[in-house]
Amino acid sequence: MWQIITNEWRYLSRTKSLLVISFSFIIILLAAAWLGYKQNKVHEKNYAEAKQYVRAEWESIKEMNPHGAAHYGTYVFKPTQVLSGLDDGVNAITGNVLRVEGHVQNEMVHSEASQMQSVSKFGKLKGALLLQYIVPLLLIFLSYHAINSEKQSGRLKMLIFQGSRLRTLVVGKTIAIWLYGFSLLLLTILVYLIFHAATMHTDVWLRTFLLLFSYSVYYFILCGLTLFLSLRIQQAAVALTCMLTLWVVWSIFMPNILQSAVSAWHPLPSRNVFKQAMKEDRSKGIDGHNPSEEREKEFRKEVLAKYGVDSVEKLPINIDGLLMQADEEYGNIVWDKHFGELRNTLAQQKQSYQLGGIINPFISLQNASMGFAGSDNYHHQHYLLQVETYRRMFIKMLNDKHAFGGSKSGDWDWKADNAFFKSVPDFEYQESPIQTSLTLYLTDIAWLLFWFTLVFILLLFGTHKLTVL
Amino acid sequence: MKYLSVLFFEWKHFVRNPFKVIAWVLFVAAAIYGLHNGASLFNKQQKEIEAIYKKVKEQYEKNIDYYQKGIKSPPDRPWVDNTTPFWAIWNLPTYHIKQPETTMVYSIGQAEQFGFYKQISVWASPYDADMAEEIANPERLQVGTLDFSFVILYLTPILLLLFVYNIKSTESEQGFLHLVQVQWGANIQAWLIARIVFYLLILLLTLTLLIVYGATLTKAILFAPEKVFQTLLICFLYSTGWLILYTIIIRYGTTLVSNTLQMIGLWLLFAFIIPSIVLQNISINKPVNLMLTFIDAQRDGREKIFAQADSVIDKQLFTLYPQIENSPMAKDSISRILARNFSASALVNHQLKQIIEEINNENESKNSIISSTYWFNPVTFFQNTLNHVSGTHYANYQHYRHQIQQLIDVRVATLTNDIWFNATVDLKKYQQYTQQFQTLPN
Repeated sequence: MWQIITNEWRYLSRTKSLLVISFSFIIILLAAAWLGYKQNKVHEKNYAEAKQYVRAEWESIKEMNPHGAAHYGTYVFKPTQVLSGLDDGVNAITGNVLRVEGHVQNEMVHSEASQMQSVSKFGKLKGALLLQYIVPLLLIFLSYHAINSEKQSGRLKMLIFQGSRLRTLVVGKTIAIWLYGFSLLLLTILVYLIFHAATMHTDVWLRTFLLLFSYSVYYFILCGLTLFLSLRIQQAAVALTCMLTLWVVWSIFMPNILQSAVSAWHPLPSRNVFKQAMKEDRSKGIDGHNPSEEREKEFRKEVLAKYGVDSVEKLPINIDGLLMQADEEYGNIVWDKHFGELRNTLAQQKQSYQLGGIINPFISLQNASMGFAGSDNYHHQHYLLQVETYRRMFIKMLNDKHAFGGSKSGDWDWKADNAFFKSVPDFEYQESPIQTSLTLYLTDIAWLLFWFTLVFILLLFGTHKLTVL
Repeated sequence: MKYLSVLFFEWKHFVRNPFKVIAWVLFVAAAIYGLHNGASLFNKQQKEIEAIYKKVKEQYEKNIDYYQKGIKSPPDRPWVDNTTPFWAIWNLPTYHIKQPETTMVYSIGQAEQFGFYKQISVWASPYDADMAEEIANPERLQVGTLDFSFVILYLTPILLLLFVYNIKSTESEQGFLHLVQVQWGANIQAWLIARIVFYLLILLLTLTLLIVYGATLTKAILFAPEKVFQTLLICFLYSTGWLILYTIIIRYGTTLVSNTLQMIGLWLLFAFIIPSIVLQNISINKPVNLMLTFIDAQRDGREKIFAQADSVIDKQLFTLYPQIENSPMAKDSISRILARNFSASALVNHQLKQIIEEINNENESKNSIISSTYWFNPVTFFQNTLNHVSGTHYANYQHYRHQIQQLIDVRVATLTNDIWFNATVDLKKYQQYTQQFQTLPN
């Protein structure tokens, strides 16, 4: 086996055209790693400046009514992930700016894609683009050539005649070509990691390992399948056409078709319907029988009873702050219901899409790549949830100040001082731990391993009875 | 006659080659699927627009009822006075819609990245959060929708590749080429071209039928026949361009594998590598705009304006709307305070417009860079050309934003004018407002 692998490598290294192609590939892959790193740096700088600017504005509030400040609000910007330079995922689509304010849970706006005309349907020149689309094509050609050249030159018959087992030969060649793909993969990721050496930590190392693992398994599937088909199909051109068609169907056709299909199976509401439903739930109550005026009256009664007074004027606190907080909390139930349903639908879409891995390992690879790079929709939703948690804390601090800061009910001119605004913490995003991603992407890993096993079985048992003599 | 026999034999070869036939069937299936995706988005947007119109109509009828009955305020909002321009305009529901074009069936383009309806108010702007795209799964948007333009741009080259990859090289590898040379003499290139033209004809016929079929899905054939023809022309040009490149490879290539590799390499270069490099370059040199200036103006604009001295505010208003300087409200110092307060939106709008112009310029500079790459980035060129024809290009949405700004301007100008001239709003005036705020100025 080892001899077959080394012989194959020796052959590959002596093929001038392949050396030229490999060299070009390495240059493009390194360029992609460098550009991914550079873009990350530009985005980090942009993000840091914007964050600092908005925070400075908040801290510069000399004095303001807390409720006025809740309307003034603040903004958060989506930070970049270390590995998003390798796989940008949904980042260009999802928007970058989110307004944090009272009474409403906003959505992210101002996406990169909406700021210019169309350029590339397959995204930027990132490692993922090359590793998912282009390296596999090269591996298909190499695998096809590895068997076809042996068949055409008659060496295959000679090797079998000399006592080599076809099964060993095929597995050896598969491993040899897989190693070639793995080297390109490893080189790209290593170079990328060297650029990011300063920001690496355990979580990122684990994510990188999982990325490497997913791509490696996928490459093995492609190499093995191509070698198997090249051996089984007598006509060389037909074998190549088969694999190319499979590549087109797997990488171009099916992801598109399946995404459209899952969107139809688990439909999302239109923005208009979504907003209208939330508006109605807030005003009429979630059950439709608890209008906001009734809720307010009830709450006023409770507060008066709690403080043992018979009018709001006698309250030692400002009831408006409490009322606004109660309204916020009711609003939060409404947001949780509707945004929760939205998240559930998105999760259902994702789960259905992941099932596509059974017929298309590329889907599993694409999911795993985005997921482990932290640039998928799950990570995006995780970010949005953290912002919403922050918003609730932020608004509660302002409402509490309004209620207990020393003002009286109905006094809307009362203002909190600068020290208070400075004491409101800034938003800090805590990245989702790898354990969560791993759980979410176990299905994809499982499908990749399923395909790996299937191909391995085909190589072992689908070739030993072949007649080549 | 000789050429006809080439076409005839090529037809025989085509129908007897299951891979070429399967490739063609798959292509047609994908194209039909893509056309239906386009038509589906068209219908979805139409349905949403109808729902909005219905909502607006209900609100409008409710308001008309107030005027007919002489009710100044809704029972739950006693502070509202519908006879004043401020509240009449505040409560007047106006949406500006970007009607989907029937040719959307061919290219969804950037339609899923932008909103297509917008409520107009005096505080609105074309970059408001409600201008965001419809709710959609970002992973679906990232993968992209398989629409007809996707099939044309990315699958046509693959189909053509599968059609022609073995022309000449098979004959050469199997030793028949010399026989062909004997038959055709010096004219062997004509034999090669005749065979390739056969596939071009097959493709053009297929595309024509598909485009006509697509046009029936949204009735584009009735409403925009010239655009259907343009789409056809673009598709013809694009396919012919690819076939010319492949012909050059076949003409000078020697082996089947080498030819196939070169064709695939070319496809990867134009469809993947070049567009992705261009996008990456723009992303680095002109990073995404986080809209800080816009945020500042929208959030702090009003406060900053009111922080100025009254005389400064008045001067700014009179500069923008000179006619109000001699209005009844301007002459009365007490009424002037009220008019000034209600006119703040005019100054905020003016300020926002200047910032929006900067944002638009920045976006345009990105577009200029993209356009300047067209000479070596043909796939992007054709993609944007198809988007233009389908009304789903960035420029179409930019035009829509421009129209929104125009409608905001009309609203703001009317509000300011009528406040300072102390107009009273009755049913007739309200109907006049309704008409005026929906009509784009010339």
